[in-house]
Amino acid sequence: MTTLAPSVDPRLALLQTRFAAVVGGKNAIVSPAELRTYECDGLLGYRVRPRIVVLPGSTEEVAACVKLARELYLPVVPRGAGTGLSGGALPSEGSIVIGLSRMKKILEVDLDNRIARVQPGVINLDITRVLAPDGYYYAPDPSSQSVCTIGGNIAENSGGAHCLKYGFTVNHIVGLTLVTPDGAIVQLGSAAGEPDPLGYDLVGVVVGSEGMTGIVTEALVRVLRSPERTQTLVATFPSCDEAGDAVSRIIGSGIVPAAIEMCDALAIEAIVAATGVDWPLDCGALLLMDYDGVMAEVAEIAARADQLCRDAGAIEIRAPKDEAERLLAWKGRKAAFAAMGRISPNYFVQDGVIPRKDIAAVLREIAALGASAGLRIANVFHAGDGNLHPLVLYDARIPGQEAAAERVGGEILRVCLKYGGSVTGEHGVGHDKLCYLGEQFSADDLETMQAVRTVFDPELRFNPDKMFPTPRLCGDRPGAYVAHPTEQTGEAGRG
Amino acid sequence: MSSIVVAGVASRDVVTPRTVEELADTVRELLGARRPFAFVGGGTQIDLGNPPKALDTIVRTVALDRVVDYIPEDQTITVEAGISLAELDRVLAQYGQMFPLDVVDRNRATVGGVIATNAYGRRRQRYGTAKDLILGVEIVRPDGVRARGGGKVVKNVAGFDLPKLMVGSLGTLGAIASATFRVYPLPAATRSAALRFDHADDVTAAAKAVLERRLEPESLALYNHDTLVVTFAGTEAGVDAQMRTLLEIAFATQGEARELTALEQESYEQRERAVRRDGAWRFRIIAPPAVRVATLGSYVAGSPLAVPVAYPQLGVALHAYAADAIPPDTPGRSGASQFEDLRRYVGSRTGGHGRLVIDAMPNWARGKIDSWGSPPPSFALMRSMKASFDPHGLCNAGRFVGGL
Repeated sequence: MTTLAPSVDPRLALLQTRFAAVVGGKNAIVSPAELRTYECDGLLGYRVRPRIVVLPGSTEEVAACVKLARELYLPVVPRGAGTGLSGGALPSEGSIVIGLSRMKKILEVDLDNRIARVQPGVINLDITRVLAPDGYYYAPDPSSQSVCTIGGNIAENSGGAHCLKYGFTVNHIVGLTLVTPDGAIVQLGSAAGEPDPLGYDLVGVVVGSEGMTGIVTEALVRVLRSPERTQTLVATFPSCDEAGDAVSRIIGSGIVPAAIEMCDALAIEAIVAATGVDWPLDCGALLLMDYDGVMAEVAEIAARADQLCRDAGAIEIRAPKDEAERLLAWKGRKAAFAAMGRISPNYFVQDGVIPRKDIAAVLREIAALGASAGLRIANVFHAGDGNLHPLVLYDARIPGQEAAAERVGGEILRVCLKYGGSVTGEHGVGHDKLCYLGEQFSADDLETMQAVRTVFDPELRFNPDKMFPTPRLCGDRPGAYVAHPTEQTGEAGRG
Repeated sequence: MSSIVVAGVASRDVVTPRTVEELADTVRELLGARRPFAFVGGGTQIDLGNPPKALDTIVRTVALDRVVDYIPEDQTITVEAGISLAELDRVLAQYGQMFPLDVVDRNRATVGGVIATNAYGRRRQRYGTAKDLILGVEIVRPDGVRARGGGKVVKNVAGFDLPKLMVGSLGTLGAIASATFRVYPLPAATRSAALRFDHADDVTAAAKAVLERRLEPESLALYNHDTLVVTFAGTEAGVDAQMRTLLEIAFATQGEARELTALEQESYEQRERAVRRDGAWRFRIIAPPAVRVATLGSYVAGSPLAVPVAYPQLGVALHAYAADAIPPDTPGRSGASQFEDLRRYVGSRTGGHGRLVIDAMPNWARGKIDSWGSPPPSFALMRSMKASFDPHGLCNAGRFVGGL
């Protein structure tokens, strides 16, 4: 049992006691110091202290917590590893946060049926680690894959560099155990790897529903045979124009790469400084590409991609000399956001999608937005599927810069929409972008999505105040940025 | 045409809207008059499912046949739901691209129908189903309101995933008006081989070896329990290398291997279409991939009308029988009981994870045998979804799982 300070509100102590009866004393957290950890996720600029955090250890405990929360009218915010970048796990006022970090077992690996059964707290990369000795892997690979968990990946329908060829989380989840907002335990989708579960694709609805349909307590994931060969190429270009053109040529030629990642000069500078990867600094843009599949085909396709990069004006194209060098290049890419600390005191990650043919044009518009706001913008992103991640650099100590960075971030999303794209490719809407969802979708579209949501949660108690724009949160000027009090005091920054 | 028969039930009227706006108006009028309706595209899967509870008007989507937006450089296309796959193929081929879902009749099958029925064939092995290809959708809800979900770009997680919800919903949540898909390049080279085996164990070993050896076939289909047809598609060098490995696998597993000419390959595809199109009885057995799904259908007493086809790595087997292969009621035994026995048999041989879905049945059996089998454990949520979209139960009601 956690000892509560005498100053603790007796009602809170009672609340703690009731949940402690379900999950055990140390897993029902109400002390302000411990609650601090749960005030935000990877979107650091917003903090709300939940009333209580519980860490159940089983499906049954999750169901009991959900029922109790319902009885007490508590809003419920599910939480995985807290690495999300859209504030999806940001607590609501007076909410209970249900954290899944204790449910981290890989329950079953069934290679004959090419599935694995995992608990939601399993770290993404750990599935591949377990499968690798047999030559299998779990495909979705968000950059945070060494720390993020499957439950969070499911909530956000996480992507990653290699979803260009292999699809997103939703394409790799075949079945789920869901605790619905009324506390029922329901099995959705496939139970043992059989295809075509009967009825509506509720797995497809729950994946990406950002914690609004319940809590996933078990997932049946698809595992893939690792490809015979992976060829990595690193190509440098004078500017993003040529690099963007190379991406268009490669995709347009009918090649389906496993991944094409793009870094501009600022991003290269930060990555080289942070990781020591041996990339040239005297170029304007770099493409990191993977081509995978059967050996003979990969050789042929990589050669064609090489030629297409040269046609687009590549300065230099390298293939890593061994697996260690290949992994280092990818490590550099996956550490890119963190590397920004090398070149800027603060940065703000944006996530938007555009058609792949428009990369060069959109990057020019983004650069112009940065220039007019007096801010530098680095770009490191999934070029192969048009998923931009502009990093707006700023210094929170300079008054007005943070707000300016937020405004530029919003303008970038509007540029994505102008080109027929989306306001989020993989980070989710969460708290961060809900006001922009109303710019991407009509009132009727959103009402239809709400109709789907209420099938699961008629009381709108699960992750309320997320995804859907409301007049209270967005006013009549959607997207207008209001700094959180902690940001104004400089207590917190973003990312 | 003033009547169309859907799963054994004839409509009173047929209307064919020419635009999405007309489609929405039509649905609103039908709702206002409380007339039960159903959507039909090319009609190639019109036998699928249980008889609708009530049917007044068929709304045909075939006149919604425009290409809305095609961006070849982005490998995406947005089309209206009534466009035929043949027409879609023609448009995409101009830029060396394709829509890799297999249907029984590309001239008739429409994009909307493929989404609503989640139709697939042998190439699911590589390309998946509509769930893997669909990026966005516009629907007309059962109340006539137009709504979009997803988008036009290849990656997008904004909002609830309406496109996924529509795939395989059999038109019970509304009409699909248009959809955006990811498309694929036409392969430069395609080669196929047939591997014939004497023993079922060897078939399993060969199919497993294809995966173990890291080959990436476009399709892998088992005909008549004994002949595995493997197709490779891609670059010339890649296809050649994989064919060589496949011959090694055939040798190691006692298979008699033969490369197929383009004509022979087409004849196998013809047979796959036959088992999905012909016969008053057609059914699918679905099970986890490790189950030898191909052998489960032989439980039926009558002789098959078409060569049974299975996709061993997917866990799907297709069967077709003539109407008289399974007789209607005879003294002491009802016709329906034979299928119920088969259903139980499939369940018992698959640890309860296998299923029998009937794609077509003779009229005498309709209403006596459920096409889908018992509803899944999540059925309460599905019923609530249906009620949320179609509270009056007018939209293709009763045809889908558990009477949805």
